[in-house]
Amino acid sequence: MSDFLRLKERRIMNHQQLIAELAGIKDRLTGIDETSNNRLYLNCKAEDSFAVNKFIFEHVGARFLIATGIDAEDCFEVLYHFSYDQTGCVITVKARIDDRQKPSIESISTFLPAAEWIEREIHDLFGIEIINHPDMRRLILSDDWPEGVHPLRKRVPAEAAQEKEK
Amino acid sequence: MPVRTLEVFSRGFAVGEGKRAIMTDTMQRMFWIVVFPGFAFTLFLGLLAGWVVRKVSALVQWRVGPPLCQPFMDVLKLMGKETLIPADAHRTMFILAPVVGFSGILVLAAMLWQACLNPQVPFVGDVIVAMYIMVLPSLALIIGSSASASPHAAFGASREMKLILGYELPLVLALIVVITKSGGQLSLAALAGQTPVLSVSGLIGFLVSLLCVQAKLGFVPFDIAEAETEVSSGVLIEYSGTLLAIWKIMQALMLVALPLFLVVVFMGGLGTSGWPLVWGICKLVLVLVLVILIKNTNPRLRIDQAVRFFWVYCGIAAAAAVILAAIGRGYGIGWL
Amino acid sequence: MNWKIWSLKKSPWVFHVNTGACNNCDIEIVNLLTPKFDVERFGIKLVGSPRHADALLVTGVVTRQAAPRLLEVYRQTPKPCVVFAVGACACETGIFHNGYHVAGPVDKVIRQIDPNAIIAYVPGCPPKPEAMISGVVKALSVL
Repeated sequence: MSDFLRLKERRIMNHQQLIAELAGIKDRLTGIDETSNNRLYLNCKAEDSFAVNKFIFEHVGARFLIATGIDAEDCFEVLYHFSYDQTGCVITVKARIDDRQKPSIESISTFLPAAEWIEREIHDLFGIEIINHPDMRRLILSDDWPEGVHPLRKRVPAEAAQEKEK
Repeated sequence: MPVRTLEVFSRGFAVGEGKRAIMTDTMQRMFWIVVFPGFAFTLFLGLLAGWVVRKVSALVQWRVGPPLCQPFMDVLKLMGKETLIPADAHRTMFILAPVVGFSGILVLAAMLWQACLNPQVPFVGDVIVAMYIMVLPSLALIIGSSASASPHAAFGASREMKLILGYELPLVLALIVVITKSGGQLSLAALAGQTPVLSVSGLIGFLVSLLCVQAKLGFVPFDIAEAETEVSSGVLIEYSGTLLAIWKIMQALMLVALPLFLVVVFMGGLGTSGWPLVWGICKLVLVLVLVILIKNTNPRLRIDQAVRFFWVYCGIAAAAAVILAAIGRGYGIGWL
Repeated sequence: MNWKIWSLKKSPWVFHVNTGACNNCDIEIVNLLTPKFDVERFGIKLVGSPRHADALLVTGVVTRQAAPRLLEVYRQTPKPCVVFAVGACACETGIFHNGYHVAGPVDKVIRQIDPNAIIAYVPGCPPKPEAMISGVVKALSVL
């Protein structure tokens, strides 16, 4: 466990070595999908997403691109996209949040400040609570948007904002 | 012939000479100030000169450019729009500033025309008075933008202040060159009698003051205060309607008065009739062409670059010109 | 037609407002103001302040956040003025129809404070600069 929490010197790996390297956190993943020769999906649970992201960023040395929020009907998902520039492989960490009533996930901006804004945006639009975020303010919804209405959830209609205001 | 008519007018308006007084003395002066060659004539020339500037810039950029009536239409349209005054602005200063600037440049233009066309009138104003009045439009710009209660205008005002600090020094030095060459005479009519630009120090002085005039007119490379893309038209951002029209009129008058000042002080003035008058008009057009040339071939400077340019390069050049002029005057060397 | 409208037609100064556009229309507007299309022959000039403007070139579907700001810019433009809704989003919300963040197309927002506003529509995604010139000339000729 302490192995991958250290920052290792980044050696250049080819694709085979990259896959072999992932054995380091295999116990925290629920599955690995290789949909094409430069696209990797690492599925995990929300509780393990912090550790997996830290491994990919610090141990493997991939570059953070962006994060995505998804409202799948039975759960929420947060995807973190990393790019391994040496081979051009895009690694996506797919964290699954099963609790639909109070979804939450741990913030990765403690070691990756670049993720601060995208986590604020995911919170604004989905209502997923981001634990340990240094600066959780409203980012993308307008100032007069009612609290508690998260527009990108599938069950929220477009007129929900006006109805909440009434 | 137009030049003969000019002679008749100037003789008819001279104070005290009423051989065939067409109008009374006061009406003559009113006509002089308001119509010819005061306000209306200078405004017409100024807007025409503004059109020339835009048309030449367009041709240099391989495009067609605005039609002849464009600057007149611009001013007319501005008169027809409503005038909005920001709630936080200092109302009196906001409204007075363009009027003060406009009246300043109008007095300067009237003085210069009087010195050119009517040199025998006793006190037409000397070059020191002209220098003082020339500051008025820039000062009015600063007051107007400071009264605007807008951060962009404050930016513009501070840049304009720094620019004035920059170019006043070389301008005064260049005028000292001219005064030295004239042997200490200050009146505009006397200065119009000599042609300093044909000497080395006069030429340097002319070039330095040409750049200072470029900055005073607010043309590229020195249009730092009213930069459209940088500070959203800095100084004039809150002006609209008739007040903005007065600013535009002031800028048009400046486009005639300042090159005329350069011609009077450095190039020997306009003649009063005949071939000297035609030659004088050519000199005026030459100064305008130089201004347009510099405008079209240069990018805009930053304010610190502009101040350094004026103080270091222009200041040293003008100081050298003053020394050369003093040496030339002292030892009687004409071309120095 | 009085002299105010006549001189307005001869010298329309434009101010560009982006109320939440994807920037495609903004790029085309900036292209329009380059020497290649030479809009200065119509007297059109880009000004840096809405107080100097006669025509507002509004791009973008008006988002909830931008709506009060667009109204403020409109109030600061001295009347008489023309509003050009440039692009499919500005004319009729385009692909953002029924979006949660949309406060309405440009005419719906502007008519909240001025039911008699003069609004001209230049559709396209983005409209070509030639289409914009044609729109401006047509709008000015019916003023």
